[in-house]
Amino acid sequence: MSAFLLALILVVPLLAAAAVPDEPRVRVDLVSEVRGVAPGQTFWIGLRQHIAPGWHTYWINPGDSGEPPRIEWTLPAGFTAGEFSWPPPERIRTGPAMSYGYSHEIVLPLPVTAPARLEPGSSVTLRGLASWLVCEKECIPEEAPVSLTLPVAVGTPAPDPEGASLIAAARRAVPSPSPWGASFETTDETVTLTVAAPGLARDRIAEVWFYPARWGAIEHAAPQEARVDARGITLAVARGQLPGALAEPIDGVLVMTERLDEGAARQAFALRALPRRAAAPGALPAALLLALAGGLILNLMPCVLPVLSVKALSLVRHGGESPAAMRRHGIAYTVGVLVSFAAVAGALIALRATGEQIGWGFQLQSPAFVTALAYLLFAMALSLSGVFAIGSRLGGIGGSLAARPGSAGSFFTGALAAVAATPCTAPFMGVAVGFALTQPWTTGLLIFEMLGLGLAAPYLALTLVPAWRRFLPRPGPWMARLERILAIPLYASVAWLVWVLSQQVGPAGVIAALAGLALIALAAWLYERSRSAAVARRRIGFAAVVALTLAAIVLSPVAGSLTAPAEGRRAGANDEVWSARRLAELRRQGRPVFVNVTAAWCITCLVNERVALSSGAVAEAFARKGVVVLKADWTRRDPAITAVLGSFGRSGVPLYVLYPPAASGRSATEPFVLPQILSEGAVIEALDKL
Amino acid sequence: MDQPNVSRRTFLAATGLAALGGGLVSTRPAWAASAKVGAAAPAFSLTASTGKSVGLADYRGKIVVLEWTNHDCPYVRKHYETSNMQALQKEATGQAVIWLTVISSAPGTQGHVSAAEADELTKTRGAAPTAVLFDPTGVVGKMYGATNTPHMYVIDKAGALQYAGAIDDKPTSRKSDVPGAQNYVRAALQSVAAGEPVKTPVTRAYGCTVKYA
Repeated sequence: MSAFLLALILVVPLLAAAAVPDEPRVRVDLVSEVRGVAPGQTFWIGLRQHIAPGWHTYWINPGDSGEPPRIEWTLPAGFTAGEFSWPPPERIRTGPAMSYGYSHEIVLPLPVTAPARLEPGSSVTLRGLASWLVCEKECIPEEAPVSLTLPVAVGTPAPDPEGASLIAAARRAVPSPSPWGASFETTDETVTLTVAAPGLARDRIAEVWFYPARWGAIEHAAPQEARVDARGITLAVARGQLPGALAEPIDGVLVMTERLDEGAARQAFALRALPRRAAAPGALPAALLLALAGGLILNLMPCVLPVLSVKALSLVRHGGESPAAMRRHGIAYTVGVLVSFAAVAGALIALRATGEQIGWGFQLQSPAFVTALAYLLFAMALSLSGVFAIGSRLGGIGGSLAARPGSAGSFFTGALAAVAATPCTAPFMGVAVGFALTQPWTTGLLIFEMLGLGLAAPYLALTLVPAWRRFLPRPGPWMARLERILAIPLYASVAWLVWVLSQQVGPAGVIAALAGLALIALAAWLYERSRSAAVARRRIGFAAVVALTLAAIVLSPVAGSLTAPAEGRRAGANDEVWSARRLAELRRQGRPVFVNVTAAWCITCLVNERVALSSGAVAEAFARKGVVVLKADWTRRDPAITAVLGSFGRSGVPLYVLYPPAASGRSATEPFVLPQILSEGAVIEALDKL
Repeated sequence: MDQPNVSRRTFLAATGLAALGGGLVSTRPAWAASAKVGAAAPAFSLTASTGKSVGLADYRGKIVVLEWTNHDCPYVRKHYETSNMQALQKEATGQAVIWLTVISSAPGTQGHVSAAEADELTKTRGAAPTAVLFDPTGVVGKMYGATNTPHMYVIDKAGALQYAGAIDDKPTSRKSDVPGAQNYVRAALQSVAAGEPVKTPVTRAYGCTVKYA
């Protein structure tokens, strides 16, 4: 019995082998785009595979099983061959497993570089051993020698018509770098990939599939739930085998099938998805420290400067009070800052949770808010100028901020400082805020409160440490003069806010806001007059004041409802307006690109542009390196640009990204992010590294 | 400030989240693999080539190696024809490690053998597994997420899965790649025996697909 079985075991494989024809399942050859080789030239060749029907070879990531093809080269001296460029694969399902590969015919292009010296009149032969795995139900590893003989050309070699068209088609099919940023989040069971591609028409997209370049992050065989909405594409896939938190970016190819009039088109993009929760164990304390530092530096930022004048006056005014009272003022101020930051941060987190694509400084993207802030600062400036006073005459700055002087005044000073500071992002702050927005709302709120603490810290420290009062001058008549002087920065801020408004809503909106300001001035004067008048006239006076203030407020929604004119998006003389399509086009051409994400209300951006980006040396460096400058204007809350910011882990402007030129043979290169405070030297240094 | 109607947006967001959640629930992973490195290895009970029923629970207190195989697969033959797999089996079983070879090929597919054929293969190849188990329905293979042959798993004495993946770091079918390769299974066995954590607990297994039903 066992002898029979032994014979069976020996014969069955032989029978199977006999049934298998000798010829390989895949016929390979090399095609070339040129008919000759010029010295020092880089040209493209391709490994062409003719695959038997029903069989398939594999992609760079073969999926659950398989092995990609490769060539072991024996090249003539001085020649170098690059790596394959991979056209997007098909999905091949075997039972519960999924592989990625090709069938029928596929050309894998690769670059070859000739040495600088070649013997004219001779010919060179590129030899290699190609090996691959071809599978149907079973798998057969095959190999075959491949070679290509080309004569040495004089001058530019002639193109090979068949080879050139095959290689051009293959290289066109190779996924281009994605113009959209991508990020991913992991849970225990799933990976959710988010591609920030706003403006996609949902009904045009028939299918979306993400092919990871490496094993482990996502489950190849799992279905990919794709959702296309206004923000972009969200793919939810079951996790792969790699355990733990995925800290490395996920590279891969995103293939979208778009419905066109003639049929469906498969568009493939090389995507790098960054982990959204990049939280290391020490990340929270680090983020808190960064937020504190950011808040401290925020005191120095140009947009806080107007309110700084209010703080300075408040300090001077309270300098003559008892230590306990001063501490109360300091704490009230800090509480005002913290409460305002909590309110703004809470609104930001809540709005983001409901899907709004907004970042830090979002409130200054609303024209109505900008108008309201302008009115408020104007009223404060009028009070400092002595047009009117709220409360007692000696209330000075504390009184002009609130109905009651004292701690409540300090509270409102703090609130105002916080509100006016929010459009700015200081160094350190960008990272901390970006991190905060990826965390659960409790952690996020905590980080924002640390920011507020940093902002309030200098004033708080001065009020808590009585010894430092020695450095404050004694109160006196000079205070009134100081008030007049400090009104000037406030008027300047009002002018700046009106300019921001002009960028957002155009000249018609500006006239509405200016009219509102005039009404406020009239109301302020009437208020002051009616305070000292008889009771009956006082009532009429107050009624007039209320009516005028209401009129001013009513004008602000009018200002807000006007849409921005097209000129609002003027770019600089040599800059181009940023668009995702233009960026993809330039990167496909392999040109270096400098993306400048800015907003009209961002003063740091304006300063950077004047100091660093417009200087002659920097312009010359841009021209020398052939860098195209794309300016992305975020003044009006453009969701496409918010998404770009998010893909770099940021939530506010400025953002400066330098995309290096594409090296030959690589389909995606890493962009370089410059610091938020630019200097001429830093920009030129970064450009020189290209 | 342009305050959106939060309550309406919240409703839409909740609906969207519910739809996504529903979508995720219906995203049944094709594998339903429950084996995770670091967790308890799923229990199973299969018929061995001796005809007896063998279960993972029988070997509690011993280190167990699971080897998914398909004797015709070029990648399996790479390790058997160089005697690499047999040497590893002898080394392991010589140290009181239990070696279970599992065949999950469905009847009629490549690698599916009868009990007698399996014993014959063991003898002719000089292999030294503790037992050869048959999983023709593929249930155990899918439970462990075995995608390829060879696919290796190492389970420690407490029953926890400590390694899952390839046998070594050269994912080819070339016999010449065996001597210079770093053997993950040997390294995992050494770590598990010493009570240390395995350096690379999860790797990508390479080989032919398991011929599931």
